Amino acid sequence: MIIALEIGLLYAIMALGVYLTYRVLDFPDLTVDGSFTTGAATCAILLVSDVPIALAMIAGTVAGMLAGAVTGLLHVWGKINPLLAGILTQIALYSVNLRIMGNRANVPLLRIETLFSGLREDQLLGTWISVALFAVVVFAVGAMLYWFLGTSYGVGMRATGDNELMARSQGINTGVTKIVGLMISNGLVALCGTLVAQYQGFSDISMGIGLIVAGLASVIVGQAIFGMTAVWQAITAAALGSVIYRGVIQIALNNGFNPNDMKLVSAVLVVLALILPAWGPLKNLRLRRRRNKALMEGASA
Amino acid sequence: MLKLVNVTKRFFPGTINERVALDDLSLTLHEGDFVTVIGSNGAGKSTMLNVVAGRYLTEAGQVLIDDRDVTKMAEHKRASWVARVFQDPMAGTSPHLTIEENLAIAFQRGEHRGLRLAVTKAKREVFREALATLELGLEDRLQMRVGMLSGGQRQALSLLMATYAQPAILLLDEHTAALDPSRAELITRLTGEAVARHRLTTLMVTHNMHQAIELGNRLIMMHEGKVVLEVDEAEKKTITADRLLEEFSKIKGASLSDRTLLD
Repeated sequence: MIIALEIGLLYAIMALGVYLTYRVLDFPDLTVDGSFTTGAATCAILLVSDVPIALAMIAGTVAGMLAGAVTGLLHVWGKINPLLAGILTQIALYSVNLRIMGNRANVPLLRIETLFSGLREDQLLGTWISVALFAVVVFAVGAMLYWFLGTSYGVGMRATGDNELMARSQGINTGVTKIVGLMISNGLVALCGTLVAQYQGFSDISMGIGLIVAGLASVIVGQAIFGMTAVWQAITAAALGSVIYRGVIQIALNNGFNPNDMKLVSAVLVVLALILPAWGPLKNLRLRRRRNKALMEGASA
Repeated sequence: MLKLVNVTKRFFPGTINERVALDDLSLTLHEGDFVTVIGSNGAGKSTMLNVVAGRYLTEAGQVLIDDRDVTKMAEHKRASWVARVFQDPMAGTSPHLTIEENLAIAFQRGEHRGLRLAVTKAKREVFREALATLELGLEDRLQMRVGMLSGGQRQALSLLMATYAQPAILLLDEHTAALDPSRAELITRLTGEAVARHRLTTLMVTHNMHQAIELGNRLIMMHEGKVVLEVDEAEKKTITADRLLEEFSKIKGASLSDRTLLD
């Protein structure tokens, strides 16, 4: 179970990225499945080329940000529906990711120095010490996100997702704001990819498949359990949601499900989290949609 | 100063649904003018406000604000000079943000939004003072989410958010129409006060004849995308709702008979 905690905390960074798009920008961003692998692949290929660890991780994060920018541009300037824009980038990234890894589906990091080598050698992975370390990292990332969402730019980003027409009429460039939000989000997701690749010791072309569901599960389960009123609560909920999600997966594995069943378990978990709290996030989302729709009709009348 | 010069706006151009919303419209508001706009549905009143705000771009004509040509300028850039209050009390505020966060956005209209904290102690004092002018007790609820407020409270907040940064042009789009009478009265009073305090150049669309007469120093009537009646400052002081209605039916009748002749 400590392993599940570790993994949950690692993936919490991705959950924070998903929170930023799905909840803050009201943009269900499917780029995640691709950009996660982009981060992992970029980092892994640089590590085996003897690039310093920090540099490899930064490169992976930047690659993810670029992927987010592509989705943003497709949506904002191409006027493509958010879901479709994300899917298009995601599928294109599949080819890009193979290219990054030198046309291989897998880059092993055997006997390569990674961020976790020290912990592994001291046999601290899988102990409470590594859990505490990971928790500190997640806390730091969460705190930075919280700070950002409280800045003038961040508040403008939240308004963009909450009431876009109002944001624009207050002088916020909502298009650029969305692109920036998608870049930060996918940067976090790719950063998470670089960590996971180093943690598990390889980068694989399929490691991102279905990950958006894990991200949404974290955000939605977290909010269903912890509520979602203030920003710091929502950020905490997303991070803890990731831990709970991995815990549930672990419990399922321990109870006769095999790893191939996990995508099904994830999907069911998300569906339950969405349907059960009829009073919860889904309801708010619906209300907001309805209001926006009424506004659009009002504007064109 | 706001100047619309021969502005034409068509919806669905080139289709059988083509509709001329603004037809070669010209209008000038001088510094400090408060013009009320009346007219039937589909007269082009709201379209005119949307053209000024930049939500719609025009097919022909020019929009000038303080002698600056903003005809092709995007809505978020125009927001440096243009502020508006919408008919829907939900439209002008962000429901999941707190009162102070909404105000922080509005008080920074037209400014660069950087990575400084949006709400600081010093700003809170400013917000509190500004909210106190509404006399709704909102100054004690800075951290409440705006979605929890009533329609009237949200509209009062929208009005404050539109007027505080002293825009060159204030647009009011039937902003009391969705409120109950007592709240509508409150917002009307607050509007008069805010406009007078900052001497804002204002364009207000309304369906309420009495409000159109009571507020502002000039009045125009629109019909089929044109200004069909202009009431100047001197005349507006004596005009009555009955006379306006009379003028209105005359104009409507005239355009009807025109059409009958064409048929």
